[in-house]
Amino acid sequence: MRRLLLAVVVVLLGAGVLAGPAREAGAAISLEKCTLCHGKPEFRKLLVDGHIRELYVTADTLKGSVHEKKTCTDCHFDVAEIPHRERPKRVACTHCHFKGNKEGAPQSDNVLAYFDSAHGQAIARGNPKAPLCQDCHGSHAVMKAKTPESKVSRFKVAETCGRCHMEIYAQYKTSIHGVMLAKGVGDVPSCPGCHGEHRIFKHDDPQSSVFATKVSEQCSKCHASIAIMSKFGIDVEPAATYKESFHGVASQFGSRTVANCSSCHGVHDIRPPDDPLSMVNPKNVPKTCGKCHPGASANFAVGKMHVDAKKKEAGIIYWTATFFKWLTIGTMLALIVHIFLDMYGRTRRLRGEQ
Amino acid sequence: MAENDRKDVTQEAVGREVEAAVNDQLAGLPPEQADAMRERIRRRVQEEMERELRARTSKDRREAARLAREALRKEKQHEEGEMFQRFNRNFRFQHMVMFSSVIILIVTGMPLKFPEFVLSRWVITFLGGIKNSTIVHRVGAGMLIYFMVHHLLYTVLTRDGRRDFWLLLPGLKDAKDIQQNIRHFLGKTPEKPRFGRFSYIEKFDYWAVYWGCIIMIGSGLFLWFETDVLRFLPKYTLDVAHEMHSDEALLATLAIVIWHFYNVHFNPDRFPGTLLWWHGQLSEHEMREEHPLELEEILARRAKEAAEVTHR
Repeated sequence: MRRLLLAVVVVLLGAGVLAGPAREAGAAISLEKCTLCHGKPEFRKLLVDGHIRELYVTADTLKGSVHEKKTCTDCHFDVAEIPHRERPKRVACTHCHFKGNKEGAPQSDNVLAYFDSAHGQAIARGNPKAPLCQDCHGSHAVMKAKTPESKVSRFKVAETCGRCHMEIYAQYKTSIHGVMLAKGVGDVPSCPGCHGEHRIFKHDDPQSSVFATKVSEQCSKCHASIAIMSKFGIDVEPAATYKESFHGVASQFGSRTVANCSSCHGVHDIRPPDDPLSMVNPKNVPKTCGKCHPGASANFAVGKMHVDAKKKEAGIIYWTATFFKWLTIGTMLALIVHIFLDMYGRTRRLRGEQ
Repeated sequence: MAENDRKDVTQEAVGREVEAAVNDQLAGLPPEQADAMRERIRRRVQEEMERELRARTSKDRREAARLAREALRKEKQHEEGEMFQRFNRNFRFQHMVMFSSVIILIVTGMPLKFPEFVLSRWVITFLGGIKNSTIVHRVGAGMLIYFMVHHLLYTVLTRDGRRDFWLLLPGLKDAKDIQQNIRHFLGKTPEKPRFGRFSYIEKFDYWAVYWGCIIMIGSGLFLWFETDVLRFLPKYTLDVAHEMHSDEALLATLAIVIWHFYNVHFNPDRFPGTLLWWHGQLSEHEMREEHPLELEEILARRAKEAAEVTHR
């Protein structure tokens, strides 16, 4: 009886002593343990809505990513049991990527910008569809944006955004910007070119880089640059003439209803004017102008749209401007000379001269 | 004069009273001490009295100053002579409508031409945004159009309007007047040109407004009713209208601010401006200086009428 009791005590003690390290080992589940299940190619889960969640992960999954040297539980740190009692939580990148972290994980203020953005705010409101870091940057294949294979690289980011914004992506792909991007032209904007990277806001939010009053500024970043536009043989004049036109001036004074670049040229479906589908194709101009000027006729398309009165090509407009320029100079010169002569005469008479 | 007299009389009476009282008090003292004391008291009393008098007479003095001003004005008026009605009520009303509308149009229009200028932003913000400023601009435009119609009807339908129209037409005399005026400015001739009812300066102002109104109202209506205009005309006509509107606006503003303001506000004869626009009258003196021929005509007509009356 005593021996039995002793044996029980010893076993219990032993279990107690061994339990500590055993738990440590459990917290850092090795890759091998994960791939025991996740390494099977057919390891997937059928969700209630019919979607299939692929759960296949191997030792090569992280290869080539910036997290090459990490293992599963470095990010999935809430996984402590196999099989998992609950579905593991979504990975929180800020677990490592915060300022002053010991891991040396890079951190910029982009994460803060993200929390303010439309996406971050949607997450904060509990929208399960709103994107977290990994939705754009990739979950396992996280790469630097400059790496061409990265999901946020210049040529791939539009596709990444398009995973959620499908219709817009489809429009963009057929637009001149999308077509040129597909041809490998790096100068054209994809989504972040106009909307920003982390500071993405809805277009009707005044903070947005594509808010009505900021659109022309956004387009002008490239379209007012001779260095960029000369590569494609596109005129930079429209950016300046828009700014001087009534539309441009009203926009500078904060009008949100006045036409900006995209009111006429389109938003995601911008096409060159000679494209019959373009909103600024002469055939479509009446319809486009008619959005704001109801009853716009075909005459809206007769004559250059972005016309610069200072250039001779403007024709009659140039001659009108020139006529008034010289009329003003001539008249004012004559009047001012008359005023000064009058003052000179008065001074003479004050001095008592005749 | 009257003020000073009264002041002296009061002063003397009070002075005598005080002297008597002081003499009573100082009767027992030695003469030197009494004299010194009397002198000090006298000075103090004088100061007190002056202070009191100042307070008591300030009202009187204000009244006196007013009378003096009145007298001066009358004296000046005598020099200026009779007042001649130069512009009738109708004409003054037209001018008021026009300058109000032009001020409104310039204030709301110029920011569109110079959007980068700091004041432009202030004006638009003050009016509550570009939408409001465009509405205010159209109100101003409506007033200017009304003025134009009113003036055309005035020119055609009223006797004064018709007479002024013919007198406003430029002629050979104006060219001579310009030449002589410049010679006069330069001191080549002591005689100023003798102007009739309208000098070449006034004729220029009048026809400048005519030209300005035609250009601004014409092009402005193009821009106002752009869709309707483009139903019949190509788009570049709208661009031409826009260019005209913008350029003529600048010319008109400069002409008003520099030329017209110099002639009616900043020149030393007028500074800071006269009430001619309000009462429409010029004094005989001013008439003789600026419109001698018209004055002669008026006086001749009067003499003729008087003669006719006596004949009858």
